Amino acid sequence: MPVWDVSNAKHLLSRCLFGYSRKDLDKALSYTTLNDFVEKELLADRPLPASPGEWVTEVPVNNSLEGDRYRAMTYWWYDLMLSEGTNMREKMTLFWHNHFVSARDKVNYPQHLYIQNNLFRRSAWGNFRQLTKDVSIDPAMLIYLDGRLSNGNTPNENYAREIMELFTLGVGNYTENDIKQAALAFTGWQVNGLNAVFTQNRFANTNKTIFGKTGNYKHGDVVDLILEKPEAAEFVCRKLFKEFVFYKPNESFVKQMAEVFRKSNYEIRPVLKFMLTSDEFFNPQYRGAKIKNPMEVTIGMLKAFDLTSEQVNTTNDWPYIYTQTQALQQQLFYPPDVQGWVGQRDWISSTTFVTRGSLSDYIVNTMGNAKATQFKQINTPVSYARTFKTSEDATKLVDDMVGLFLQFPVSAAKKQSLLSTLLGSTILANWSTSTPGADNQIKALLKAIMRLPEFQFA
Amino acid sequence: MNRKEFLQQLSFLSGGVAFGMGGMSVKAFAHNPFSIDMEATNGKILVLVQLAGGNDGLNTVVPYENSLYYNKRANIAIKKENVLPLTSQMGLNPAMAAFKDLYDKGKLTLVQNVGYANPNRSHFRSTDIWLTGSDAAEFWDEGWIGRYLTKLYPGFPLQIPEEPMAIQLGSVESLLIQTDLGSTGVVFSNPTNFYNLVTGTTIDNEPVPETLAGDELRFMRQVATQSVAYSGIIKQKWDKSLKNLYTYPTTNLASQLKIVGELIGGGLQTPIYLTTIGGFDTHANQVVANATNTGTHANLLRTVSDAVAAFQKDLEKRGLADKVVVMTFSEFGRRVSQNGTMGTDHGSAAPLFVIGSGVRGGVLGKNPALGDLDGNGDIKFEYDFRQLYASILQDHLGVETSTVQGIMGGKTFSTLPIFRQSTSGYVASNQEFTFDQSGANPFTTYTTLLYSLKKDMYVKISLYDMMGREVGTLKEGNMAAGVYSEIVEGSYWMPGPYLCAMKCDAGQKVIRILKA
Repeated sequence: MPVWDVSNAKHLLSRCLFGYSRKDLDKALSYTTLNDFVEKELLADRPLPASPGEWVTEVPVNNSLEGDRYRAMTYWWYDLMLSEGTNMREKMTLFWHNHFVSARDKVNYPQHLYIQNNLFRRSAWGNFRQLTKDVSIDPAMLIYLDGRLSNGNTPNENYAREIMELFTLGVGNYTENDIKQAALAFTGWQVNGLNAVFTQNRFANTNKTIFGKTGNYKHGDVVDLILEKPEAAEFVCRKLFKEFVFYKPNESFVKQMAEVFRKSNYEIRPVLKFMLTSDEFFNPQYRGAKIKNPMEVTIGMLKAFDLTSEQVNTTNDWPYIYTQTQALQQQLFYPPDVQGWVGQRDWISSTTFVTRGSLSDYIVNTMGNAKATQFKQINTPVSYARTFKTSEDATKLVDDMVGLFLQFPVSAAKKQSLLSTLLGSTILANWSTSTPGADNQIKALLKAIMRLPEFQFA
Repeated sequence: MNRKEFLQQLSFLSGGVAFGMGGMSVKAFAHNPFSIDMEATNGKILVLVQLAGGNDGLNTVVPYENSLYYNKRANIAIKKENVLPLTSQMGLNPAMAAFKDLYDKGKLTLVQNVGYANPNRSHFRSTDIWLTGSDAAEFWDEGWIGRYLTKLYPGFPLQIPEEPMAIQLGSVESLLIQTDLGSTGVVFSNPTNFYNLVTGTTIDNEPVPETLAGDELRFMRQVATQSVAYSGIIKQKWDKSLKNLYTYPTTNLASQLKIVGELIGGGLQTPIYLTTIGGFDTHANQVVANATNTGTHANLLRTVSDAVAAFQKDLEKRGLADKVVVMTFSEFGRRVSQNGTMGTDHGSAAPLFVIGSGVRGGVLGKNPALGDLDGNGDIKFEYDFRQLYASILQDHLGVETSTVQGIMGGKTFSTLPIFRQSTSGYVASNQEFTFDQSGANPFTTYTTLLYSLKKDMYVKISLYDMMGREVGTLKEGNMAAGVYSEIVEGSYWMPGPYLCAMKCDAGQKVIRILKA
């Protein structure tokens, strides 16, 4: 079992949460072992959060409120991410959102994606077999991949293909005929209001042959047939590895994960725990090797600045995060296509990289700026620096700030250069947060830290 | 030369910037005396239009005299009286009047039944196949355009040209322009916004750690370097180009092509552009019932056809239409038989279009053989998509046949008569000396370097690994005018790419060689 120290705790938190604050780190380290923390905190069950509004139970009618409600629901999820504490349920909710993809370009009513989002939250580390069955008749999914239209003996193959290719098995582990036959088994389901309903006379009530087995299969049977194939467990575990460890999977470790997954009858919690407490997870090769997704960048930045959910001004602050994460190519409830966000290097293009830099500059510039309309509750630069015990020792302050903002190892030369940025025209011996101009010097340091490409890594 | 000196030289090569921690203004990229010759394509430009989602070929180019088409698509077929006839057997979707006009003027070549053997019907896998140019069973991680550009600019990434090698309009970088050596292009949606965003970006050249994380940092720095290096010149060329010579439609694709037209008009020499339009995954309701000439798919086709036609007119007004060719492509066509939801599922081969003043026009290929489908009910391909790539590389961009073969992974694809005239292979940029590799690349034991000097001069040929470390000097001294060959023994080298640089009084040339 890996040791439970600051370095390992930072690595674990930066991968399993949307960034963390110094308080979060202290809380994690108040547990005596990694095992304890993972079991009692990181993967602890919690009650479901309050909904984003009463409208979530409203039977959908075309009333032009969809755009505003989608926005409200997106802010609601931002808030859940910011207030997640040291529990990884929101991270897993996003993982499933990005796995069983449905998107608002086709799902007009936010009610349907709210139902799906809560299914993911409820099943964050539940049973994958059950989750896959639930998703197969989830209203938003029936809309997104056309299941609601698919009917009888001339079915639409959209869902049947994607469940095999993207949700459970991966390309190469099924035939075109398996897809055609499975498409028959998924027929009969439609969406009525907020509910999925089964209509017998829309169902292809015939024998289907899938993976060489024949029967009058229904949707749940297809899921069971799929999960008999060993490729399924490996496929899902590979995806977990790619999300939480490294985007190039270590196949032999993925096989170990798959064994845990199958032995627990596709319970998700045990395999997560296995992965997060393994030596493989803490392998130094992977430290700082994950390119943060836009939600990790933005929410993580706010957490590092100690901004709490109560301090966010929903009217001013969230719209900025909304626009920026959109520019960075991650709009919640709107993955680009059924494959979802690919992640890692796909986050970085010549435009998105520089946009990340302008975003961190912008947030730092609001600090202590009376004219700023956003993030008013973030400390002024000097007050923020003084939340570090080392605020009056420039060298140590740089060390501490680098330690909080960067997971990627930073050389002494680079720290030296950051130190000169902090000092500006003053000398080391004269540094004090009471020096006139300290506000600007601290801002310069924070901007420089977050302008380093290293800042983009978790 | 030690590593530090090399890096100093590298920074010189990549634009004269003394990379330093946080200190460098982004606008300081100076004129690069060693810039690579941008004229190697004879000024020719390729603009790709990707139709993401799998375009339904049969409702794009309609076999309007074929009863099988009407039988298999009872609810979604385009009626004969609605099609825009190209020949006595095939006609365009009625939404494509702008393409019909280009066809009538001989500026559009239609290529039927383009696909590949053992077609994959996954969007993502088939898109990768199209973008890399691999066979169905091969998994490649370099885009075909990326491979072309690294041949065209062998000094990349140690030496990058003054203007971007490729530009993608959008935000998420396409595999098309990625290579093992890094991205060969820049991605943005608006030149001014891009320029403004780059302000404040800093890059440094501190060695990255030899870890998996280090590889990712190297990747990110390279992207950053290109943003910094190119945002200025893009903005500068864009600012000086004439705007609104022709009024484009207001669609997103048209806006992308408008910017491409303005950049080309401003004199940017970038040879490759990628534009994208999504939404072609028409499983359901691709047409309006009983009005099949309308609906989702018709709207998409109208958008493409109107935007590309506007681009062509814009270029004609600028007098640049001879330089540029547009090609559309999509990851697959769709199933011949409709499904039960007024749509079509994933299929295989489909038509594509090549547009420009240099094309011959007309149709290549036959109407799809709807009575002779594959076991899945899909159209069999008549032309391999890489024949299109080879034709464009060779006959439009002027790449030598042997080089095209290299780009295509050693496979030969016969070219198609798409262009009115084939251009000859490109001319060596330096007349004072030449420097090339002959023989197999990648090589296993020996490779041969060929070079020639027009007059007596001092020559040094050095070898670098891709970390920029000099690993050997192959030749150094004063040499007489003449033609030379140098056999290099590499049996003990670690496999991977190496850069071979020849420096002489007349200049410098870098080539990349690959040890298998």
